[in-house]
Amino acid sequence: MQISEIILSSLLALIIGIFFLGLARKIMARIHWRYGPPITQPVIDIIRMFSQKGISHGSIFNFGLIFSLTGSFVVILFLPFGKMCPLSSGGLLVILYLMLLAPLGIALSSGEAANPNSSIGVSRKFLLALGYEVPLLLILLAVMTHYHTISLIEIVRIQANTGWSFGSLPLVLSGIAYFLILPAILGIRPFEISGAAQEISSGPKVEFGGKFLAFSTIQHALHEFIGISLFVNLFLGGWDLFGILEPISNTVWGIILGIIIFLIKMVIIFVIEIFINAVFPRFRIEQAMKYLWKWPTLLSFIGLLIVVLFN
Amino acid sequence: MSLEFLLIVAFGGAFLTYFFGKISSKLRDTFAVIISLALVVIISSWYKVYVEKTFYCGFMGFDSVLRLNSFSWFFAIAISSLTALSIIFSLSYMKGRERTDFYYLMMLLINAGMLGIVLAGDLVSFFIFWEIMSWSTFLLISYNRGPSLAAGKKYIIMSLIGSMCMLVGVMSLYAKFDTFNITEISNLVSSTSNGYILFLLIIFSITFGIKNAVMPLHTWLPDTYAESTTSFNCILSGMLTRMGMYGFLLLMYVIVGATRVLNLGECLLKFNYIFAWIGAITIIIPTFIALLQKDAKKLLAWSAIGQGGYMIVGITIGTSLGLAGGIFHTLNHAIYIVLLFMSLGAIQYRTGGERDLNKLGGFIKKMPIVFVGALVGIAGLIGIPLANGFVSKWMIYKTLILEGYPFLAFAALIGTWGCILYSYKFIHHIFLGQLPEKFKNIKKAPFSMALPIIILSLAILVFGILPGIVLKVVNRIGTSFGFESLHVNIWGIASETGTLNTINIFAAILIVGIIIWLIFKAAHKELKVDQYDNYAAGSAIPPNKYNYTVDYYNPFTKMISPYLKDIFEIFYLKIANKVQKLCNSTRKIYTGYVGSYIMYIVLFLAILILVQLKWGVF
Repeated sequence: MQISEIILSSLLALIIGIFFLGLARKIMARIHWRYGPPITQPVIDIIRMFSQKGISHGSIFNFGLIFSLTGSFVVILFLPFGKMCPLSSGGLLVILYLMLLAPLGIALSSGEAANPNSSIGVSRKFLLALGYEVPLLLILLAVMTHYHTISLIEIVRIQANTGWSFGSLPLVLSGIAYFLILPAILGIRPFEISGAAQEISSGPKVEFGGKFLAFSTIQHALHEFIGISLFVNLFLGGWDLFGILEPISNTVWGIILGIIIFLIKMVIIFVIEIFINAVFPRFRIEQAMKYLWKWPTLLSFIGLLIVVLFN
Repeated sequence: MSLEFLLIVAFGGAFLTYFFGKISSKLRDTFAVIISLALVVIISSWYKVYVEKTFYCGFMGFDSVLRLNSFSWFFAIAISSLTALSIIFSLSYMKGRERTDFYYLMMLLINAGMLGIVLAGDLVSFFIFWEIMSWSTFLLISYNRGPSLAAGKKYIIMSLIGSMCMLVGVMSLYAKFDTFNITEISNLVSSTSNGYILFLLIIFSITFGIKNAVMPLHTWLPDTYAESTTSFNCILSGMLTRMGMYGFLLLMYVIVGATRVLNLGECLLKFNYIFAWIGAITIIIPTFIALLQKDAKKLLAWSAIGQGGYMIVGITIGTSLGLAGGIFHTLNHAIYIVLLFMSLGAIQYRTGGERDLNKLGGFIKKMPIVFVGALVGIAGLIGIPLANGFVSKWMIYKTLILEGYPFLAFAALIGTWGCILYSYKFIHHIFLGQLPEKFKNIKKAPFSMALPIIILSLAILVFGILPGIVLKVVNRIGTSFGFESLHVNIWGIASETGTLNTINIFAAILIVGIIIWLIFKAAHKELKVDQYDNYAAGSAIPPNKYNYTVDYYNPFTKMISPYLKDIFEIFYLKIANKVQKLCNSTRKIYTGYVGSYIMYIVLFLAILILVQLKWGVF
């Protein structure tokens, strides 16, 4: 049972992450009044990349990339996916730390490439991460303090009984703050700073080619999935939809419908983020940090204060 | 084997090493390694041995007491094994330097002093061993001469202030209870008033706070770490600084007792709450100062101050999980900071003492073992799952969140994110990026350096995957302090409010990693290229310049650096200047001219006569 959950959730996450990439290109094209590539274009690209030859700068160049993809897959195993959650140990804190593996692996890998473009990209990526981690940690602490647990499964379960956190009074500010930093977490415009294609030749990816580029594309797809999935789990109640699954909650249909509801929520959030991505220009890194440390931090700080006083 | 025998071996071995050094350097090296390993073996054979032994012929007629329990055993084994590894590391690092006999004498003397501290069962022996440790540290810090003399002076002045505070505390305890025995004092202390307890806590906290480099008292540490020999840094950063943690634990949970410490004060002004906030400040500010450093040793020094804050936060919250996290973090930190200093030491050994991060780079190709050591070291430092630092940090965070201190938890968590930035900087600038041409022919690290690096890397992974090995001992310490026992198993911690099971994470990472590696291997084989075969948008690549290291986090560091002045350092230096001026003006009365001295005598007599005439006191 657990094995099938592990395989199912990682495969689903892979498919949906890549589908998101294709969807993003299509929507962007339509906003630009273009026809756009087919929605399966990223799949075609990944297959093509695997058939091409790439260069390697050394052992950590290979290992770092493998490590980062491993990290992304492992995070997915720890995230509740609808009603499935293959692994659970240490709760949200472990997820928070496992989410470090992917950027660290990419950073190590592109660090060995000895290309200033990639070093600048990594430096920006870490700074941006420091920027959005401040509000993100405040938000996560508010949620964990409010529900008095560090387990994400528990948080989703309580939301099914008492309503979504986004709609509950003490957590609404935190939810808004999370929504404000979501583009930074996903690395899309206005926060497309580390992978800026025109400025630093896609940053950390600059030396990747062939299977390396394929791996880093898959990693990127999974990263989008993780960022949105965490938001849906924390604030939009995970698989819950105003209790309509209550009568069939323990049947197979309940589980499947739960996954579908979860995915619909994710797609809605992702499309909104793509709209933001389409219309905004890019921040400079210091502008991004100033923004992230101003409004989202203020909101999430007040949110945490309210939660502490409310309890 | 008895406790005094251990100390005799430790102290005697130190002096014998010195004399053997006069005969032959090979003999001295071998003997130093044997002595340090012998201490490890003796101490490890005392697992679960609890003894207390009184000697009636103690210092100045006071009984001296030696005792061993799980608390002192834990620290003793950490001290002796880390010292043994540092001595092995020193073998090649110190080869061919001057005054090496003196160096080994001091290393072993510090080791003996620290063992004395943890075994001491009365405050007089504690104080004496503390002083032996402090003074030999001072001599070894100044070993390099030059700027290290100033660093040593700073250290010894602060250390002396700490010792004087401890002396005041010890004297007041003796005046009150008429005994120096720690066990007897801890039984008697519960009858005293809250005011006296607060006095004790504050006066001893100054001593231990200076040693542990807690935020307002940290200023000796960056200079000292930066200027002393890197092989000595291993002992200094690993256990010597953390003797402050031993002191805090001894003070708070042995001498005063958990119930008194945790109930001191009201509401937000509780003693332990304020102390935890001091710890939180100690995490945040040094972490961001470490970001600004371009000297590798200073970076590690500031990082060490910041990590000390986690231990303080862990032990002050006063739950069994937090306490265990704090104690476990002390050991974890010791292991990875020693590993990082050793990696840096190996680089310095091969490059002739280079420690400027901007001048290094690309060493992964030349020193792969050292790179792996540094990588595992920063994994522990950041607290990546499967490294030891993760488990202890998880315990601390969980305590803070569930006990309702979210803002403290935020301080601790954000410290970790700052930590990622500077540790990546450390590993990127030294090992990744471009190898400068002048280091093209550099050799691998010698075996005596590689061995401790490998052992410590394995220790980090083993304690990260099987934390139960250490947590069982830590749990016993907690129960001996009167906290309730944790449900520890070999894979982690089980409890009602969320379990940590490292084997889950380990298996997941291992299996997923192997699958991805297999896919990677099955795809087209990659083409190996050298460091100049790079994308440069069609332009030629300038050798030795196509690298980005200087001002790595530039726009951000420019933003924060005005706020990160070390105000305490500036303040202390101002005080030091004022004192120096005062002393200089006092010195002016010594004119060196006999006439003025006669004048002083005559004046003094005149005043005496005046006093006698007026009031008739004599």
